[in-house]
Amino acid sequence: MSERIHPFLNRRAFLSHSATALSGMALAQLLARDRVLAADVRTDIPIRPHIDPANPNALRPPHFKPRAKQVLMIFSAGGCSHLDTFDYKPELIKRHGQPMPGGDKLVTFQGAQGLLTQSPWAFQPYGKCGKMVSDLVPRLGDLADEMCFIHSLTGKTNTHGPGENFMNTGFTLDGFPSIGAWTTYALGSATENLPAYVAIPDPRGVPQSAGNCWNPGFLPAAFQGTDFNAIKPLRNLARPANISAGKDRSTREFIAQLNQHHLQNYRGDTELAARISSYELAAHMQLSVPEVSDISTEPAHVLKMYGADAAGNRTQEIKAGYAKNCILARRLIEKGVRFVQLFNGAYQVGGEGTSNWDGHKVLKDQYTVHGEVLDQPTAALLSDLKQRGLLKDTLVVWCTEFGRMPTFQAGASGRDHNPAGFTAWLAGAGVKAPYSYGATDEFGYKSVDKVVTVYDFHATILQILGLDHQRLSFYHNGIERRLTDVHGEVLKDILA
Amino acid sequence: MLWNQSGVSGNAVCRWLTFMVLALLPCVQSARISAQPVTHGELPPAAKRLVDFKKDIEPIFSTHCVGCHGADKQRSGFRLDDRASAMKGGENHAPAIHPNHSSESPLIRFVAGLVPDMKMPQKGEALNPEQIGLLRAWIDQGAQWPQDAKVAKRLHWSLRPVARPDVPRIANPTRKGIQPIDAFVLTQLRKNRLDFGDPASRGAFIRRIYLVMHGLPPTPEEVRLFVNDPNPDAVSELVDRVLASNRYGERWARHWLDVVRFAESNGFETNHERSNAYHYRDYVIQSLNEDKPYDRFVQEQIVGDYLGVDSGTGFLVAGAVDIVKSPDINLTLMQRQDELADIVNTTGTAFLGLTLGCARCHDHKFDPISQKDFYAVQAVFAGVNFADRPLRRKLNAAEKNELVQLEKSRASQSVDLATLKQKAVATQLSSVSKKSLRPQVNSRLNEEEFLSMEATAVRFTILATTGAEPCIDELEIFDSNGSNVALASVGTKPSASGTLPGYAIHQLEHLNDGLTGNSKSWISSTSGKGWVQLDFPAPRTIRRIVWSRDRSGQLTDRVVLDYRITAQSKSGKWMEIATSQDRESSGKPDPKAFLKHLSEQEAKSAEELLGQLQKLEARFSELSNGTSAWLGTFSQPKLTHRLYRGDPLQEREVVAPGAVEVLGSLGLREDEPEQQRRLKLAEWIVNPRHPLTARVMVNRIWHYIFGTGIVDTPSDFGANGGVPSNEALLDWLADEFVRSGWSIKHLQKLILVSKTFAQSSSPRRDGMAIDAEARLLWRFPPRRLEAEAIRDCILASSGALDLRMGGPGFSLQIKENDNVDRYFPKENFSTNDFRRMIYLTRIRQQQDSVFGAFDCPSGNQVVPKRTRSNTPLQALNLFNSNFVLEQSSLLSARLLQTAGTQPKSQVSQAFHLIYGREPDRFEHKASIAMIRDHGLDAFCRALFNTSEFIFVF
Repeated sequence: MSERIHPFLNRRAFLSHSATALSGMALAQLLARDRVLAADVRTDIPIRPHIDPANPNALRPPHFKPRAKQVLMIFSAGGCSHLDTFDYKPELIKRHGQPMPGGDKLVTFQGAQGLLTQSPWAFQPYGKCGKMVSDLVPRLGDLADEMCFIHSLTGKTNTHGPGENFMNTGFTLDGFPSIGAWTTYALGSATENLPAYVAIPDPRGVPQSAGNCWNPGFLPAAFQGTDFNAIKPLRNLARPANISAGKDRSTREFIAQLNQHHLQNYRGDTELAARISSYELAAHMQLSVPEVSDISTEPAHVLKMYGADAAGNRTQEIKAGYAKNCILARRLIEKGVRFVQLFNGAYQVGGEGTSNWDGHKVLKDQYTVHGEVLDQPTAALLSDLKQRGLLKDTLVVWCTEFGRMPTFQAGASGRDHNPAGFTAWLAGAGVKAPYSYGATDEFGYKSVDKVVTVYDFHATILQILGLDHQRLSFYHNGIERRLTDVHGEVLKDILA
Repeated sequence: MLWNQSGVSGNAVCRWLTFMVLALLPCVQSARISAQPVTHGELPPAAKRLVDFKKDIEPIFSTHCVGCHGADKQRSGFRLDDRASAMKGGENHAPAIHPNHSSESPLIRFVAGLVPDMKMPQKGEALNPEQIGLLRAWIDQGAQWPQDAKVAKRLHWSLRPVARPDVPRIANPTRKGIQPIDAFVLTQLRKNRLDFGDPASRGAFIRRIYLVMHGLPPTPEEVRLFVNDPNPDAVSELVDRVLASNRYGERWARHWLDVVRFAESNGFETNHERSNAYHYRDYVIQSLNEDKPYDRFVQEQIVGDYLGVDSGTGFLVAGAVDIVKSPDINLTLMQRQDELADIVNTTGTAFLGLTLGCARCHDHKFDPISQKDFYAVQAVFAGVNFADRPLRRKLNAAEKNELVQLEKSRASQSVDLATLKQKAVATQLSSVSKKSLRPQVNSRLNEEEFLSMEATAVRFTILATTGAEPCIDELEIFDSNGSNVALASVGTKPSASGTLPGYAIHQLEHLNDGLTGNSKSWISSTSGKGWVQLDFPAPRTIRRIVWSRDRSGQLTDRVVLDYRITAQSKSGKWMEIATSQDRESSGKPDPKAFLKHLSEQEAKSAEELLGQLQKLEARFSELSNGTSAWLGTFSQPKLTHRLYRGDPLQEREVVAPGAVEVLGSLGLREDEPEQQRRLKLAEWIVNPRHPLTARVMVNRIWHYIFGTGIVDTPSDFGANGGVPSNEALLDWLADEFVRSGWSIKHLQKLILVSKTFAQSSSPRRDGMAIDAEARLLWRFPPRRLEAEAIRDCILASSGALDLRMGGPGFSLQIKENDNVDRYFPKENFSTNDFRRMIYLTRIRQQQDSVFGAFDCPSGNQVVPKRTRSNTPLQALNLFNSNFVLEQSSLLSARLLQTAGTQPKSQVSQAFHLIYGREPDRFEHKASIAMIRDHGLDAFCRALFNTSEFIFVF
């Protein structure tokens, strides 16, 4: 690989730059940056991007040449079973109904295990590559040639909240910055009039870890994911109903007048200048967010392709809602939004597994619904991105918090949580496709070949964005924090 | 700088770097021109003066060398900590020092980086030319090393004892009324060719002090009085008034609550609200308002249960806790480790500025904290449980008296009632069994005794509950020897009518697993009924049964009220062995049932008596037992082990409860009583000679007053933390703090009456060029207010602010409970919602929909220092939210009321309320035009959105 450190981060270049532009440079800022600059020969020291307070989401250079510039992360909440979707295990079919060797001693999240159980859905080859995918997600199967599967993911926890935290923030505990926050902190955004980072909750609600999945943690609030979807608009975006457009505009102008007048006595104060520009940005967003969210302008054939016209029963309504979110996601990517996080599945309403992939007890009935909701809209989204040439610069990631057991739970018809082995796929810019990486054991219980941690997974995503996961840092409370903590190896094999 | 980035270099490193930075600054360049780093192939010149080993050389060896070449480690066999070893040299290149010939001495060549691969020191930053020059001079002057001089590894600055520095003398005698603080600040400023700015105007000063100390603006009347106060002590008196106000504690408590990650829900996916966690919040407010000595404040938070201040220990359990339990032992152990790590880390960062949490898996990478230290402190807290505890409080004389009176009245009223009941019983004939009834069923523990019998199985049939599906956490059956024969571990098998599906914590196996509490319980699948049965592997002689809903006493729902217990004899016949029939008020209890057997007159007085007694009992219980609050419970823990890589399944040696070894020991045994552990740790922390405790706290106070601390990493005083911008000042303040009896208000007053604090916030060209952030305080640095202060200021200006103190908080969310709690923002507000934001019930992850975006902490991680962003979402929230629009109308109504209908006086009054000043001509004109064209509401909406309103200047 020829990934050169960007000249901006080269110490000598910085110093020569500073010599000419020292006025206004803060003493402490220099002190803080010393550490980064102290030794340009070392590659293990933190990189903390300089944030311009007046424009915190200004475009910032990556650490080296990126393979992708934008990310669309699709998160299936509840622990989507790899064994009923993308991880084909002939041995599981063969040994269906038999005990899993050693399975009687296993204590998983809800307790004892029953017998090995094959998926209720048949697997068959899909795409030119002949990837074995289950009939639960046939349209996604049709796109197997676009996908880079990672079959050997492993997590650190078998409960949902910490699991969702882990996949979205790199830590099982609450309160750490999400991967989208890290990305926008590092790179800023090419689009000025839209948020740099958008989280699109499922039509049924937010995931179990709720806002923690897109929170900025200890990063400045500027890097928080802005959450809205095709149905629920961004809070406080619209002009209040009882205020006319003219009055609204005049009020805004009056604020600007007072602020500018006051600023005359505080020339050079960046924080005040930043505040003034935040009002300008807000005004732009008031125009551009409703525009991008208004999917009624999409032609009928597009709505149909995504399944946004689905109707007739509750499942179809949910599918239509999720499909609209998929269209929104595409529109945001199209506009250059840096990081889009699209959620499929919400927290437990109506019992476990009803509104997300948590199929403990009645997997077949529940997954029939979830597969229907996920499959067509997500497949349409991926094809649409490709067709519009957007995959050239966009990395698409599909993931979940953990997989599920090859056995059914004792006395139930569903699978318990399994963080020991599960599947995710990537597509688009930066990754090999079709490609399958790593494997679980013969039953799909544990990752055994090229075992991948969530840290590795995150490190790879950052790498594709041109970011060194070991160096992108933020100092908080005594620690140079990283998305990948002190772990993570880039999965070089899957990089295109 | 705005962003939470800070100096993170080691002490020595940073001294060099500061040097470098200063060398680059144009205005000081000439003075520092010699300070170029050593470049390849040249040696810096030897110092021209006579060097002294103790003064000049030892500090260099101590800071840079003996870490690897001293008592602990001897890399390459070389030691530099005593004379003989140093002169002898190491395995290679000996001798390292050639007296009188510095340029040939390997020591010099290595530190100057002339020999590739032998650059010394290998770890940490290189020596600067000045230091190398001193070493050269020392060698050239004969390498004098006093016979017994030993060189010890130098501790990081913050770990060395605090020594009160002399107050610097200020050359210019015209500076009257200069405070010690000012002398320290000014000395530092002058070193950098800066000076104090002009004093702020009186109006700006009073607004600043109110915003900083109360988080509320002064009223126009307060401003007027102060501005016109001719008294020479006006400032000092103002400071006293401000510190005496209850608004002060409300403002500063919020700072402390950030530092200790306080919030009022469990966090994680369930995120259940802790509706009685507010007692700790009130405790902090009250402690600050009464200027509780800081050492006492610290101790009460760690071991308040011992000190008679229960509410203090809310600190220990203020963090998030994962209550989703599983039979999976890995998960359970890790959850407990996470809980304890949270307490250890918060204790370390909050009180000591030490990131103890970094040593959970390995020795600390930067600070002298070993992994063993982490587990020693963990052992101190190993008996802390996340649960409610009765909040006892000291009764005042009136309350004590009341308690005595209550007891008397209770006795006499009970006698009266008993007489009436007797009467009722008499008339009721034999409808109630003469046998005295057993106590009513309770949630905590119930016993059944019966004639011993031989049984093969026991069945517990539930007939009625207090509501919902019944829950039993443990069913114990004792034989005549007192052994529990129900346990699964002795082969007894449970079965049930059905188990509520989907809950790992409510499983049938929990019925007889020997573990109690809600997380190890069984719940029936049917509401109000169900049965469980225990089958023994062989017949057992049984004579007593004990069962409960939640042995820990936390949960009191789902309690079984009516039941039958039957046992199966060897012959297969079932017989009843116990029932709720002989308990008091079995079934739905009706305490008034006996009234119907009394005359109308008697029934009326009996009913009255009952009502009085009920109230009396409640009050009695409140006074004598206290209310239940989220303060943690304590139990004697098992031994604590060091865990290899922090993995609970890899226990290593036993670790006794203790402190950080490099700073002392607690001298405790491995099995020391639980409370004693916390007591000793607390005493160690507040020892007046502890190098960190006072330094860390005075720095926090400085941080919250000026926006940045003297050390800009307030919870990290380790090697990775910031470098003090004024170390002498920090030490002087720390010493003064301890001498004053740890008085926070004393320290704050010293700062608030200083010239440093009173400076104008106007930027100056020289200051901006050298120190744009004003770390050195050449002006008062302006900054955006925090979320809470912005909201409070809006409410205060509109006149809606409700100043009720303490008690349960208000909520800005609507809660939906569906296994996990979900919260949705309120759109309509009642006046109850207009209390200060410190009283907002803080739910983890659920930010207030308007003010959360202003970098408001979510309560998940400790926040020693808030970030300050300015984002479009903040702008949208302040410009468009219902809350701000509603407050704009309220302000507009207030203006109409107080200033009448003349725009001129409306504008003047509005500026006084919002900015604490008169508008200037431009503002006046623009405002009048705005009101004329768009009305008063729109004008008010605009003012709430201006920078001047939400910044402190």
